[in-house]
Amino acid sequence: MTQDPMAEIRASFFVECEELLERLQDALTAIEAGDHDPETINVVFRAVHSIKGGAGAFALLPLVAFAHRFETVLDALRSGQMQPSPEAIKRFFQAADLMQDHVRAARDGTAGPANADEVLQALEALAGPPAEKPLAEVAEFQPLALVLDLDADPGIADSAEPQTAWQVFFAPHAALYATGNEPLHLLRALSALGTVETRCAYPAAPDLIDLDPEAAWLAWQITLAGEVGVDDIREVFDFVEGVCALEIGPAGGTNACTPGGQTETTQPRPAALHLPAAEAAPARASGPPPQPTLAAKAAESATVRVDLERIDRLVNLVGELVINQAMLAQSVAEAGLAPSSAVANGLEAFMMLTRDLQDSVMMIRAQPVKPLFQRMARIVREASAAIGKEVRLHPEGEATEVDKTVIERLADPLTHMVRNAVDHGLETPEARQRAGKPREGLVTLRAMHRAGRVLIEVEDDGAGINRAKVREIAISRGLIAADAVLSNAEIDALLFLPGFSTATTVSALSGRGVGMDVVRQAIQSLGGRVTITSDPGLGSKFSISLPLTLAVLDGMVVQVAGQKLVVPLSSILETAALTQDDIRALGPQTHVISVRGAIVPLYDLGTELGFRQPRSSYDGSIVLFCVLDNGSSAALAVDAILEQRQVVIKGLQKAYGHIPGVAAATILGDGQIALILDPADLVRSATGHTRAIALALAG
Amino acid sequence: MSAELSLAARLDLNAARPLHAALLAHRGDDLVIDAGRVQHLGALGLQLLLAAAQGGRQAGFAVSFARRSPEFDEALRLYGVTLDDLQAGPRP
Repeated sequence: MTQDPMAEIRASFFVECEELLERLQDALTAIEAGDHDPETINVVFRAVHSIKGGAGAFALLPLVAFAHRFETVLDALRSGQMQPSPEAIKRFFQAADLMQDHVRAARDGTAGPANADEVLQALEALAGPPAEKPLAEVAEFQPLALVLDLDADPGIADSAEPQTAWQVFFAPHAALYATGNEPLHLLRALSALGTVETRCAYPAAPDLIDLDPEAAWLAWQITLAGEVGVDDIREVFDFVEGVCALEIGPAGGTNACTPGGQTETTQPRPAALHLPAAEAAPARASGPPPQPTLAAKAAESATVRVDLERIDRLVNLVGELVINQAMLAQSVAEAGLAPSSAVANGLEAFMMLTRDLQDSVMMIRAQPVKPLFQRMARIVREASAAIGKEVRLHPEGEATEVDKTVIERLADPLTHMVRNAVDHGLETPEARQRAGKPREGLVTLRAMHRAGRVLIEVEDDGAGINRAKVREIAISRGLIAADAVLSNAEIDALLFLPGFSTATTVSALSGRGVGMDVVRQAIQSLGGRVTITSDPGLGSKFSISLPLTLAVLDGMVVQVAGQKLVVPLSSILETAALTQDDIRALGPQTHVISVRGAIVPLYDLGTELGFRQPRSSYDGSIVLFCVLDNGSSAALAVDAILEQRQVVIKGLQKAYGHIPGVAAATILGDGQIALILDPADLVRSATGHTRAIALALAG
Repeated sequence: MSAELSLAARLDLNAARPLHAALLAHRGDDLVIDAGRVQHLGALGLQLLLAAAQGGRQAGFAVSFARRSPEFDEALRLYGVTLDDLQAGPRP
């Protein structure tokens, strides 16, 4: 047994709650979309009911009380007494949100939501007078009454709740008493395990005169309800093994071992637990004990819950394995073995296995973005209600899988972006009507895999970025010069500058001191980038591009000014060797390259990173054509390409903060540390100086 | 006639024989038991009290309780025994 089984069960209850809440949201969304199938309504009902049941077992009374009232209203919906009107559905969503708050409050031991009563009252008003579901049912939901209630309502019996009931037959032998043992202590220990219903079975007593005061003729039949394993019960009787008769089996069986000759007073009193007759087969303790429903549930959904820490440990270990394998490969190469040698072949197989292993481990960490999107749905509901706009959230690509850490750290920036879209992006319903758009604004949340990265977009069909206003504000804040000539993209990018806020009045929604600069910082710390596109009158789109994983990447190892650097393979379009003919001078200090008719700016990595002065000639040097966020490309000049390999990402953010152009670092096969570049970021802050200024030399 | 029997604080293995003897001594009397001092009601003690009540019922004597300690009542609850099981109605 683990140290604190209750804590574990409690934790798994809250995990289940999250799943149930997700199901609840899904079903409500379906109902909103016009699905009035009774089964869909049942899903909603069951989710709430299951949470109520579990909460009852843990005596989470505020949650139970809320769920009960919610459930009563849902019952009205289920019975057709109440219609799923848009108003009702809106309230149901609110109630579902509040339920989530209640669950979290119960989990974290904090206070529940304040406005719960208001929403419930509104719902109850819509539902009309309650059907006959009296307070008695709430009373049933006092702690530990869970199992009873489940049985009382077989129509919605849900296997989600943990429930176990055991029947224990215990008959001491005289030796039990003679050895100083006491049934009272054992019965007390049993009652500490759960709810007990004890019956004392005693035969017609012998006459007092004939009675041996130290003989044993009492026996007990105990029904034990609670989340208890057979081992827990056995443990109680550990010290009386061999000096008593003991039978343990699932409750509901008519235990054949009850001694006959009971007097009328020991006839069964109404037992609290009568499971359906189908379960009545008495199982002996010697047989395999039926495990509590948790195990059964695991088999149903065929998933295992694993502590994230263990997965992280596995990921780290695999990361180390990748480094180690690279070192081994290097040693083998240095040993000068023939490529066809057994060692080289074995190493190749080893590399493939390592890669497979790594992919598999990454898959464990990957999770669909759906829960994140559901959170955003709530943000949209709350934000739109707060400022009186009609907004619909349209999620796309909810099944897209992203590394769990990425999802977690994406929640805050995404929340902010969604709020922004509702608050600033969309117009008021009146303004929309004037512009010939539907009153209801649309926010699209999209996730997809694109070129080895994850792309997440927040798009609104609002008025688009008011560039004149953005420019005006930037000038008034001293962010740009009044006469600065800026492209549309550059104006849009001003939104990401620290201290920029387009809302002239700070609204309750967006004015939280968190600007888009913080969003960008959060995304950058994930190795991602955020960009804006906007069409006046048609809307704006914020795109976040993220790495699939934060653990490894495929990189190209290049040499620049004697340094080894890694460029992510996903950002390289092609590589080429330059001739002087390809290069054109542009202005006093910069070059461009013409490639198949296209003109691409040239950047010298060595210069941009501060390793050396611009070179006088690029004849014969290698360039990497890298794709940038906005779809354009740039050419990075390097001295040589060394190899292409998988590298383990070691973050630098914690130690150094954001370094322009550098995403992270890695350890190469020879143990050397190399920087991993972020070409798009590098180009953004690049000088573009590729031409040596001869003046200094001529001096 | 009616007799009063005061129970010992601990009705365990050691108390079983003395209690048996005391109950036998009052056989044939209406019995009023004082369980006010009982701190521990062992199962052997319970057996004897059950047998006494049963004997009383069969022979038509009353067995009742004058006082009961909380520990005594708590033990009965754990044993799944009610007070009625330990009492016998008054002589008809």
